[in-house]
Amino acid sequence: MTVLPGGGNEKKELWIVGKRVPRVDGRERVTGKAIYPADLNLPGMVHAKILRSPHAHARIRRIDTSRATALKGVVAVVTAADFVDLPIGATVTMGDAGYDVWVVAHTNMARETVHWVGQPVAAVAAVDVHTAEAALKLIEVEYEPLPPVVDLAEAMAPDAPVLHSNVVTKGVEPAPRSPSNVCSRTVIERGDTAAAIERATAIGEAHARIDTAHQGYLEPQVVVAQVDPNGFATVWASTQGQFTAELMLARILGLPQSKIRVVPLEVGGAFGGKIALHGEAAAVRLAEKCGQPVKLVLTREEVLQGGSGPAAGALIDIRVGADREGQLTAIEGTYRVDAGGLPGMSPSLIMQASAALYQCPNLKLEGYDVVTNKPRTEAYRGPGGIQAAFAMEQALDVLCQRLDLDPLEFRKRNAAVTGSLMPIGTPFPTIGLTTILEEVGQHPCWTDPLPAGKHPRGRGLALGYWRGTSMTSAAHITIAGDGRPMVTMGPVDISGTRTAMAQVVAEEFGLSVEDVHVSTGDSKSAGYSDIAAGSRVARTTTAALVEASADALRQLRMRAAEKLQASPEDLDYAGGVFRTRKPGGAAISLAELMQATLGEGAIVGRGVSTRLPLGVEIGAHVCDVEVDPGTGQTTVLRYTAFQDVGCALNPPAIEGQMQGSVAQGLGWALTEGFDYAPDGRLRNASLLDYRIPTALDVPPIDCVLIETPVPGVPYGVRGVGEVPIVPVAGAVANAVARAIGVRVWHMPMTPERVLRAIRGGVLD
Amino acid sequence: MKALIRCTVNDEEHVVLADPRDSLLELLRDRLGLTGTKEGCSNGNCGTCTVLVDGAPVNACLMLAAEAQGHEVVTVESLSEGTKLHPIQQALVEYGGTQCGFCTPGIVMSAKALLDANPRPTEDEIRHAIAGNLCRCTGYDKIVAAIAAVAATEGE
Repeated sequence: MTVLPGGGNEKKELWIVGKRVPRVDGRERVTGKAIYPADLNLPGMVHAKILRSPHAHARIRRIDTSRATALKGVVAVVTAADFVDLPIGATVTMGDAGYDVWVVAHTNMARETVHWVGQPVAAVAAVDVHTAEAALKLIEVEYEPLPPVVDLAEAMAPDAPVLHSNVVTKGVEPAPRSPSNVCSRTVIERGDTAAAIERATAIGEAHARIDTAHQGYLEPQVVVAQVDPNGFATVWASTQGQFTAELMLARILGLPQSKIRVVPLEVGGAFGGKIALHGEAAAVRLAEKCGQPVKLVLTREEVLQGGSGPAAGALIDIRVGADREGQLTAIEGTYRVDAGGLPGMSPSLIMQASAALYQCPNLKLEGYDVVTNKPRTEAYRGPGGIQAAFAMEQALDVLCQRLDLDPLEFRKRNAAVTGSLMPIGTPFPTIGLTTILEEVGQHPCWTDPLPAGKHPRGRGLALGYWRGTSMTSAAHITIAGDGRPMVTMGPVDISGTRTAMAQVVAEEFGLSVEDVHVSTGDSKSAGYSDIAAGSRVARTTTAALVEASADALRQLRMRAAEKLQASPEDLDYAGGVFRTRKPGGAAISLAELMQATLGEGAIVGRGVSTRLPLGVEIGAHVCDVEVDPGTGQTTVLRYTAFQDVGCALNPPAIEGQMQGSVAQGLGWALTEGFDYAPDGRLRNASLLDYRIPTALDVPPIDCVLIETPVPGVPYGVRGVGEVPIVPVAGAVANAVARAIGVRVWHMPMTPERVLRAIRGGVLD
Repeated sequence: MKALIRCTVNDEEHVVLADPRDSLLELLRDRLGLTGTKEGCSNGNCGTCTVLVDGAPVNACLMLAAEAQGHEVVTVESLSEGTKLHPIQQALVEYGGTQCGFCTPGIVMSAKALLDANPRPTEDEIRHAIAGNLCRCTGYDKIVAAIAAVAATEGE
């Protein structure tokens, strides 16, 4: 790993931030002592199971749960009738846009119609899992099957069966008179793209088809819920956002927020798939009904077969045009995103992501979100980024080949710089793409010739962009009796942020990391914080903790001044000690101060960050592959990931984020894709057939971290966790194309698809 | 219907009232309270339930609890002594070989089985030994580095 300074980087000397600090919560993990919801066992706990639709599309005529309720050992049963019938469009607070809770409610319990195989229709709680499963078989559901529409392209056809009779395509003028499966149309444009394409010296095209994939978290969804005799519900969950979960539960259950506490336990991977609810509401209602704690564990098959929200598949067509000098003159793209069974998966982010890094005067991007009879899709690490880059980075590579222009040189000629206009017209804040490209050009991964091997080899380059979000993060610091800071973070830790925040507070207090204790609050013990997503936690919580540290130190200073009989302004603070400035002056340590003032009450330093200026994420990846033309098998030989990380709070931790993202990207690029049957059933609903990379599939991943700080934010921290997945499929695809001389347009580029491309050169 | 299962887990003899359908994984987690071993798929495909049975790494979800009778089962709980970590555990922390931690106990057990049988493995042998342990967070790089580091110091 290399860490390099970017532009505008007058790095001040830091004590612990920027250092290699092992995870402060690593020991729990390696000993198996870290507690995930499945590890929680409460006295009198019962077990829940969900009844799921076997049909991809059907009306529910009747549900009769009486025989299940009567089964010995069954303690509670719920159906849609037990939950609030929310109006379409109901949202809970989340940033500026809100989060669609009507979708979440229906994802958790179908109402009147089922839209995918595996959608929940009822749930039971029983003394053990076997009894719960037996009870499910006793629930009678009368379905009226309807024709399913599984394929994205078929769903867009004018004669396709309409899945939601109330959905009329938004963003079309005049508004269509009939409903369709195309829920919305979004257009982003500037200039005259058609004319620019006409005039271009060379064109590159992409016709990409991306299969649905899964976030692949190893821990399935599990929740434990308990409702006390006063109706107060405690929910222990594997969640990316305890506050958002509380909001959703309050709406879906019709409970006041003051009656719900969501406790986030350790999360065994999430990557966007544990923002929505997947069973929590049912667990709470069951717990309410039976008066006992309820544990709901999703099996792996349930997770894959409709029990969770996978990442959206897409159909993307792109044309790019350039002049003789290799300057981009036009980008034209159509992005069709698979929303799954319920509407509202906006393609706007992926459209912007695909074009943002390139200066281009003319662009026309059109996006559609389309419903199909498959599970409602959800976020996955830079949602839409890797799909869009698979198409765009290949289109640009085709353009480079036609212009006979080196792909790195092309990127340098067209790279966005600070102030360049993004697709929606906002100027880029401080970015270091040019620096990244320069580093790529000087690195052995680019300058080393590709060694020959047994089979054809190729090298691919791709860029990635992700905007991220800021929203709200809160944290507070109390001071223990021995003077050490005890930090409570609002946002959930899904990427090692507890460790980075321990470093920030250690830095602010001049203490060592071991002196700082960090824990995550629950929805009643910490200040409201938005979900751990959008690469926002480290940067925003850093800002909140800088504020909280200053607040705590201010309170401590007042007390120290009193004890030292001096004015607060006449004290210096360093390394845990307050000293009066006069020579031979008195000093008091934080430990002494706290012991002397315990009776004066707690020191509580508070901080909150809202709408922190964005530090967008940019990466460039270089990949060498070897393709066996007899089997279509692709082996990744070498992989180097460059990324602008702003200020690396903990370089090895960032490297870990990058390496993990690359492995995920390699999976979707080469082997991961959902295989749906025409009836909407997922054929590969197991980790054997849904093939995620093993240690044998991933080469060593070399990382180069470049630091272009974000101005105006504490420590100049940039988001880092999402962009490293974005370029991967594009880089691999470009490498494969250079190896075999034809393009593979269907992602994942399985051996079968690579072989078809080699043998027929036809679109799959 | 219940079944009486006798087994030796972490050097301790247990007599447990279990369900004859229980897997070894369910016995360990639900009957004996040893929740360090995780459940990721219950289908033998992810390795999060890796334990050692007579020294060999086994997916506990693929074994019936009844089959444990007469065998020595070792789980991750037995590797550390109080706050003292086993070298494999220590290395995983130091090298960043654990992120969400869900695959980690299984990785620890597979690594232990490898190093017990082969104290100086090559990188390829390390990757083969953990090929049955899926990790979604780390990309495997730092896990391999950690195991190699233990081999380098301990395998002399």
